[in-house]
Amino acid sequence: MTFQRLSREFDALRAEYRKSMAEKLDRIEALWELILKGMHDDTRLAQLKRELHTIAGSAGTFGLPQVGDAARAAEDCLGEAADLATLDAKQRDDFARLLGNLKSAARAPH
Amino acid sequence: MEKSAKAPPPRIDDDAVYSLTAKGKTELRGAGTALTAIELELLIHLDGTSTVAQVVRRNSAHARDKLLEALDKMSRDGLVAANVQSDNIEATGFFTRPIFPADPSAAADAAKQSDITLQLLRRQGYVARIAKRAAAETRKLNPGERLVLLVIEDDEQLAKVLRMFMQLDGYEMRLAGNREQITAALRLGKPDLVLLDVTLPDVDGFDVLARMKQHPVLKSAPVVMMTAKATREAVLKGLALGADGYITKPFEMDVIGHTVKSVLGLA
Repeated sequence: MTFQRLSREFDALRAEYRKSMAEKLDRIEALWELILKGMHDDTRLAQLKRELHTIAGSAGTFGLPQVGDAARAAEDCLGEAADLATLDAKQRDDFARLLGNLKSAARAPH
Repeated sequence: MEKSAKAPPPRIDDDAVYSLTAKGKTELRGAGTALTAIELELLIHLDGTSTVAQVVRRNSAHARDKLLEALDKMSRDGLVAANVQSDNIEATGFFTRPIFPADPSAAADAAKQSDITLQLLRRQGYVARIAKRAAAETRKLNPGERLVLLVIEDDEQLAKVLRMFMQLDGYEMRLAGNREQITAALRLGKPDLVLLDVTLPDVDGFDVLARMKQHPVLKSAPVVMMTAKATREAVLKGLALGADGYITKPFEMDVIGHTVKSVLGLA
């Protein structure tokens, strides 16, 4: 594989990753809304953390370090909480703010 | 008609590892059994991880020949089956075999290694950037030889990037993102190195690591853990379970390439 071809393929993967970010954020937002509405499901908060964790781990590799940092901050905010009941009001407010930061970071021109 | 002489039982390899078949498990659970005491002992001790030699030692009250004879009969009756056939991997049961906690001395050793690593790497803003155990010896590849890397990573796009870059370095790549795919990938044979994500959708990466390091064939394959959350506890846990390297995410591709080469002794 030539360097040019590698570069093209990596650019294509990066574009695919960035395109998929909107979908990932929609899913994260929808999960958070369901959790806030009290539509209780033990797996939702774990899924939300996993989605954030995945972005935190991969965004930097695709040239989006700010997005990765914002996802990590949001993930850390949820800490070890297992469900909505174990999140206090401050954590909920903080998470809503950090989710906003994540969306802004993802929408910012790169 | 002439009566044929009884054939000697086939030779049983001391290093072979046997586990119970579904029939064997049913027999073990069953209230009534027609098995002899020695056969029942074997059903209990053939746990899918102990070698024949270890099982024989644990049952020293019985003569070795009698144990091997019973093992051979149970194998022919379909109660037990050898897990390993030459270099192939029988991955069935990979996720169901019992696993054991890390050896305390390994944990202490890991703590020592990790503390040195942490001092160096904290400066970079991570608990750990890369921790790796150096390969025992330098390895030279034969012309045309390709090493197999198994990437266990549930982020499909990240896995694709890893495949693309590592293929460029001449590796043959296999990808797996969940339990089922891991089992399928391991059935293809022992990889030369595994890049293992800690957080997977339906299985814990540490659990996969522990199972690999306690598997009779897979235990010699180096495993490099990849994680977005490298707490000290997580690093220690991975190293104590036998991880050969630790990389924090996000990573640059040259970090992966360098680590893989170092662990394989290619650098």
